[in-house]
Amino acid sequence: MLIKEKQWSSLAFMIMTLLLFILLGGRLFYLQIVKGDYYRGLSSQNHIRVVTKPAPRGLISDRNGVVLADSRPSFIVTAVPSEFDSMNTAQVASLLSITEESLTSILNQASSVPHRPVVLLASMSVEEVSSIAECIYRIPGVLIDVAPQRRYHRPEDCCHIIGYVGLSNDPESFRGEITGRTGIELSMNEALRGSPGLHREVVDAMGRIVEEYRGTGSDEPVPGTNVVITIDSELQRTALELLEKTALPGAVVIIDYTTGEILCAASSPSFDPNMFSRGISQDEWDALLQNPANPLYCRAWTASYPPASTFKIVTAYWLIAEGMITENTMPAPCYGSLTLGDTEFGCWTAHGRLNVISSLAQSCDVFFYRTSQLGSLDGLAEYAESFGLGSRLTDIFTDERSGLVPHSDYLDRSYGSDGWGLGNLLNISIGQGELLATPLQMAAMTGVIASRGRMPLPRLVLQREQRETFFPEEACDDTAFDIVTEGMLQTVIARRGTLHSVFADFPWDFWGKTGTAECSGEDHAIVVGFTREPEPIVICVIIEHGGHGGSIAGPVARDLLLSYFEGSD
Amino acid sequence: MRGVIDLIGRDRPDAVFLIALLVLFLIGLAAVYSASTVISESGLFGKQLTWSIIGLIAFLVGTIISLRRLEEISPIIYVFICLLLLVTLFIGSGPANRWLIIGPLHLQPSEIAKAGLILMTAWWLASQKVRPRKFGETLIFLTVIPVVLLVAVQPDLGTAVSMLLIVLAMFVWAGYGVGWIILLVSPILAAVSSMNILLWLGFMIILTIILYRRKYPIPMWIVFMGGNSIVAALTPTAWNMLKPYQQSRLITFLNPSNDPHGSGWNIIQSEVAVGSGGLSGQGFLQGAQKELAFLPARHTDFVFSVWAEETGFIGCLILLTAFFILFWRIVIAARKSVNPFNSLVAAGAAAYIGIHVFVNVGMTLGIMPVTGLPLPLISYGGTQLVTVLFLFGLVLNAGMYWREV
Repeated sequence: MLIKEKQWSSLAFMIMTLLLFILLGGRLFYLQIVKGDYYRGLSSQNHIRVVTKPAPRGLISDRNGVVLADSRPSFIVTAVPSEFDSMNTAQVASLLSITEESLTSILNQASSVPHRPVVLLASMSVEEVSSIAECIYRIPGVLIDVAPQRRYHRPEDCCHIIGYVGLSNDPESFRGEITGRTGIELSMNEALRGSPGLHREVVDAMGRIVEEYRGTGSDEPVPGTNVVITIDSELQRTALELLEKTALPGAVVIIDYTTGEILCAASSPSFDPNMFSRGISQDEWDALLQNPANPLYCRAWTASYPPASTFKIVTAYWLIAEGMITENTMPAPCYGSLTLGDTEFGCWTAHGRLNVISSLAQSCDVFFYRTSQLGSLDGLAEYAESFGLGSRLTDIFTDERSGLVPHSDYLDRSYGSDGWGLGNLLNISIGQGELLATPLQMAAMTGVIASRGRMPLPRLVLQREQRETFFPEEACDDTAFDIVTEGMLQTVIARRGTLHSVFADFPWDFWGKTGTAECSGEDHAIVVGFTREPEPIVICVIIEHGGHGGSIAGPVARDLLLSYFEGSD
Repeated sequence: MRGVIDLIGRDRPDAVFLIALLVLFLIGLAAVYSASTVISESGLFGKQLTWSIIGLIAFLVGTIISLRRLEEISPIIYVFICLLLLVTLFIGSGPANRWLIIGPLHLQPSEIAKAGLILMTAWWLASQKVRPRKFGETLIFLTVIPVVLLVAVQPDLGTAVSMLLIVLAMFVWAGYGVGWIILLVSPILAAVSSMNILLWLGFMIILTIILYRRKYPIPMWIVFMGGNSIVAALTPTAWNMLKPYQQSRLITFLNPSNDPHGSGWNIIQSEVAVGSGGLSGQGFLQGAQKELAFLPARHTDFVFSVWAEETGFIGCLILLTAFFILFWRIVIAARKSVNPFNSLVAAGAAAYIGIHVFVNVGMTLGIMPVTGLPLPLISYGGTQLVTVLFLFGLVLNAGMYWREV
């Protein structure tokens, strides 16, 4: 280090620091001398209040632009803790019909940020607010403000898909902010919520706004993003009406198998999400929870059922693709049951000697009992997973279940390695046993056949990009697709097909498969199927305790498709 | 064998420096007293008095300690401080794990680390016998990285950045040109300037001028122009790859504010408090904003606002002038010291004062972002007070040494 340089360095140090200090002095001069009176006035008579302006939550609309969820203005009563005089507690509490204790506790909780209004009463109508407005206005620190309240236009139809909102209890959020609790409202919350604005207002001792603060500026709220979902709300409504007509809990899923777009995902019974927007009462909440049919529960993707005979399309595909059978394979006849060891595996009638196509059409269990013994449980389970079973298909339904595809290690864990055997494979081959699938998964499983393996993953938000398919390309087998498709066609057109009578007068081609899921009480009725014309869609209908698949779920599927296709002509 | 205490061959202490220091010390006590009168937590002023006494002892130790001895053990002190920060990271408490609690002692190791960093940098730079010419010597800069990183992950980005600035100022003092400093931080500048094409062009032009004037060989041109272009090209891509919530977390990290709601409430209240002070203030202990408890962190980060409200423009000028005189006398001490280590320690102390005063006061006046940097000697806080007083003791010590070569 050379001493000469330090002369220059010290000069540079001094000059730079002097400039910075002059900058500070200049700012002080501006604040204290130039604007001193303004700030002195602010500090002695007025306060600054920071008011959060909620951002309008994004709209949710269906594929045809029908608005399903928007916001409407509602009145809220708020209090600014630092301006509120506790002398007025009793008066305010009686005006708002709340207890003094709850009012005090709201204000105490809010006292950490004393300048910011806290919500005392939300979602009030004009009538409610006008009756108290006159008295409220005289009380310092209590304000009436307008806040957006979520409104659902077809509340019951889409309640499980869209979900509902509630007051946020995230400490980062402002008081009174609403946040998604379930459905799209929850999974798309970040996009829908936008960001709140902040207004800084100068208020006088009575809490009246004098002016906007002239120092640091205000931030305007940024509205939330609108979300367009793939649902056709007309179709959704028809589906729910048909489900309700059966007076049994059930679900319908319809997917366009060329795009993966979910056109309909109805679950019955349903509920009114507007109850949550205006603040659900304890009675309403208890009623929802105690309803034995559990309306909050979405049967389209949160419930999983044994897919029963609908799963035979997977078993048949597996048998053909793995070369265990051909179209002409005819094992020993079905005499109405098959005995393995000392267990009897039943079929619903004696079918006689059938090939795979007729076995699908007439839903013969014995055919599959005999042929599946050629393969292994893990082989079948792997195919089931390729068809979309056993794992979640979307990331948008936060309450989507994964269902269950049992592998041998799963059965080892459950029963011990000696506790299970061929019987489990036989049960699974006809979709019973441990196998569980959601209606959404059953629709996707059918979609694999309909699209010959090219169906994209189901999706609910309308977007341009093509989503990847889920059926592995190496598992595609043209012969297997042809034969299973023919089996599903024969189910509808063959005289002894399980859907023959239901779809007798149906004007378009329909490929279907029935299922009767064994459970305690009456069996669950399931129908899956697809059409190519006029629209390429797959459908899955499940009616809990509806008995035999074709008898009650079949008519729902038929009537729904009729109404949809005739309406779209 | 030299002793730990060295009293031979000394000049008289710098009276102007001592007076300025005393004025600021008293202003600090008065401001903390005023701010603490409305604080519910009792005994703040008593604690500050206790710390002041410890601080005065530290100051005396700093003035009589042998600087040569200190120079020798600086790397050891540095390693010790790194360990202290590491321990704090795991067992620290308080907001952002900044505090280390040992019995009745509440320490803020990042404050001690600032002094340790100054000693370490001074030791490194003093050990360079000739004026640095080769860029390979930049490697010595890497030695400061551990402490800065340990503070940054607390997370206390404000303190970490202030540390880097102090170190860079010491490099300038040691003879590294401004151009060299720009080259050193060029990846950061490249990343920031990539947001705007004009900024980027300006940055590249400055880079070209520096490289040309320093007559660097072709490979260095390729390293700097190419490397920074890659950094700038990748920054937007990397940014877009982040999910929105990750982006907002990063922004929050880079702009740590005391107010998670982002309402700017602290700054507004501080502006009102300062502004309402007017020319001569509302009188000691009379500040209305302070009394209504609207002023946040009024005894720590925003202590200047209390002072400004109660003593007005005149009081503020006294405070800023005292700081500037202190700064000036430290720079004088740094210039007079022939011993490179002594000179660099004083230069580091000067940078410490300049940066902290500007950032803290600037924050209370709404022209700097909200960071947790305290106002030296004035803000409540024992670790900071003791560290600063010890550092000033060293400065006085160095200033008295100048005749001895």
